[in-house]
Amino acid sequence: MFVAPVVAFFAVFNLFPVVFGFAISLTDYDLLDPPNFVGLDNFRNLLDDDLFVTAFWNTLVFVAGTTFPVWVLSLLAALLFNQVFHGRQVFKTLFFLPVLPPVVVVAVVWRMLLHPNGIMTWLAGAFRGVTEIQWLTSTVLAPLAMITVHDWAVIPFFMLIWLAGLAGVPRELREAAQLDGASPLRTFWHIDLPMLRSTAVLVAALSTINAFQTFALQYVLSTGPGGPADSTLVLGLLVLRYGFQYFRMGDASAVSVVMFVIILAVTAIQLWFNRRVA
Amino acid sequence: MWPELRRARAGLVLVGLAAAVIFAFPIWFMVTSAFKAETEIQAIPIHWWPHEFQGLARFQEAADFAPLWRYLFNSTLYSVVHVVVTVFFGALAGFGFAKYRFPGRTVLFFLVISTLMIPFQVLVVPLFIEVKAFGWENSYPGLVIPGMMNALGVFMMRQYIADLPDELLEAGRIDGAGEFQMFLGIVLPLMWPPLISLAIIEFIASWGNFLWPLVIVQDRNLNVLAVGLTNYSQPYQHAPMWGAAMAASTIATIPIAALFIFFQRYFINGLTAGALKG
Repeated sequence: MFVAPVVAFFAVFNLFPVVFGFAISLTDYDLLDPPNFVGLDNFRNLLDDDLFVTAFWNTLVFVAGTTFPVWVLSLLAALLFNQVFHGRQVFKTLFFLPVLPPVVVVAVVWRMLLHPNGIMTWLAGAFRGVTEIQWLTSTVLAPLAMITVHDWAVIPFFMLIWLAGLAGVPRELREAAQLDGASPLRTFWHIDLPMLRSTAVLVAALSTINAFQTFALQYVLSTGPGGPADSTLVLGLLVLRYGFQYFRMGDASAVSVVMFVIILAVTAIQLWFNRRVA
Repeated sequence: MWPELRRARAGLVLVGLAAAVIFAFPIWFMVTSAFKAETEIQAIPIHWWPHEFQGLARFQEAADFAPLWRYLFNSTLYSVVHVVVTVFFGALAGFGFAKYRFPGRTVLFFLVISTLMIPFQVLVVPLFIEVKAFGWENSYPGLVIPGMMNALGVFMMRQYIADLPDELLEAGRIDGAGEFQMFLGIVLPLMWPPLISLAIIEFIASWGNFLWPLVIVQDRNLNVLAVGLTNYSQPYQHAPMWGAAMAASTIATIPIAALFIFFQRYFINGLTAGALKG
């Protein structure tokens, strides 16, 4: 049967590991000695675990700092490039460039730009005589840097999603509103936005899910990784630290189960919103 | 009315230009820095282009310091296998799910699609233990096989193939074609546009993959580019080599940029379709 190889593949490399992961999260396992069943202790311990609480909080800040600005700015960018003006096509292509490099390249390039005496310091502080900014070694600036770089990298992608949604709004509706004397703002508010509802939900859900899973950016861009003083330690990094640095596979799996539940919840909220539209 | 409109248009051009410059600047800086002397890269004020053009010296430096060409080969192998497997088996299973009735069809399809909701962080620990048990740690099979199929392919191709008229297949059967022959001879040739879009999404996703290659491989000769890059930006007991890092980053961006330039329509469609999967 044509579906057999595919079903077998996913059973072995996706579905089995998920179940296996749940099982590991109920044990203490260091890869050397046989796993030791501990029930829900790993989950209970997470609540008192400073690292987990820090990572959870950092992830929430990261999600909050990315989701909303990304939603607004990518919508504004889409509205801008949906207008007709000279150079639009060229500007749009240039604006789109951050979509091309893989996340690791983004992180490496920004690591260079955010050198304490580097180009960004020069751009931000030259006129005030500032010559050194601790972008990545300050516990305040480093998390902000992660958020800004992430936003820079994903806004053009979400602009694309908005543009696809805007292309689905019938031109006649907009023209009719304008003929009736509606201002551009009112046209957008009463015509475009209601028709973009499912796009709006999609952008919000996708960017939230992406942000919850963030990991490569922090791994490469932050000092440490996760530093300074764990200020950029996110849940994705914590899984890696517990699993492959401390070899506490049970705790690592417990953290990943928590991530899984959060992401499923976001997906469920997205579906619920879309159901109300339909 | 007209002068006002013209002023508004001029405003749009300025905003568009500003957005383009802000978002394109880091990419511009990456590419130009790959041809600069090391001291020029962090020079203040900024060198907008190389004052002493270095030719390919930075690329050579990168290749001398770490096995850059091995990284490139490994990334290419990894991505090509992922693309070929996802496209071919995605279409095959999509065909099976779309055009045949068999017991368990809905359940199996749902199981395959549900893997799209699993964040990779949930899989990484159990999958690592599983693949280690196969004896595939630190090897090409361990690197390439576990993620080589993406359920998005099954989902996308099932939708497109379901729209094919059944009469086409009936005609094939009357001509005495086998079922697999029909897949190769009738279904695949009609599916080029979505197959190309799917291939592009899968290439982008696999080319940038970081977490799995990071944990499963320790031998530097088996590293992919995304992991190898960090050898230049944060080398072990060595100052960062920004020129080499930018040269390697540029190499890591070129394949995706090439796809964008030569297949722009499929590229955009692919990204949008990939986002709408939910």
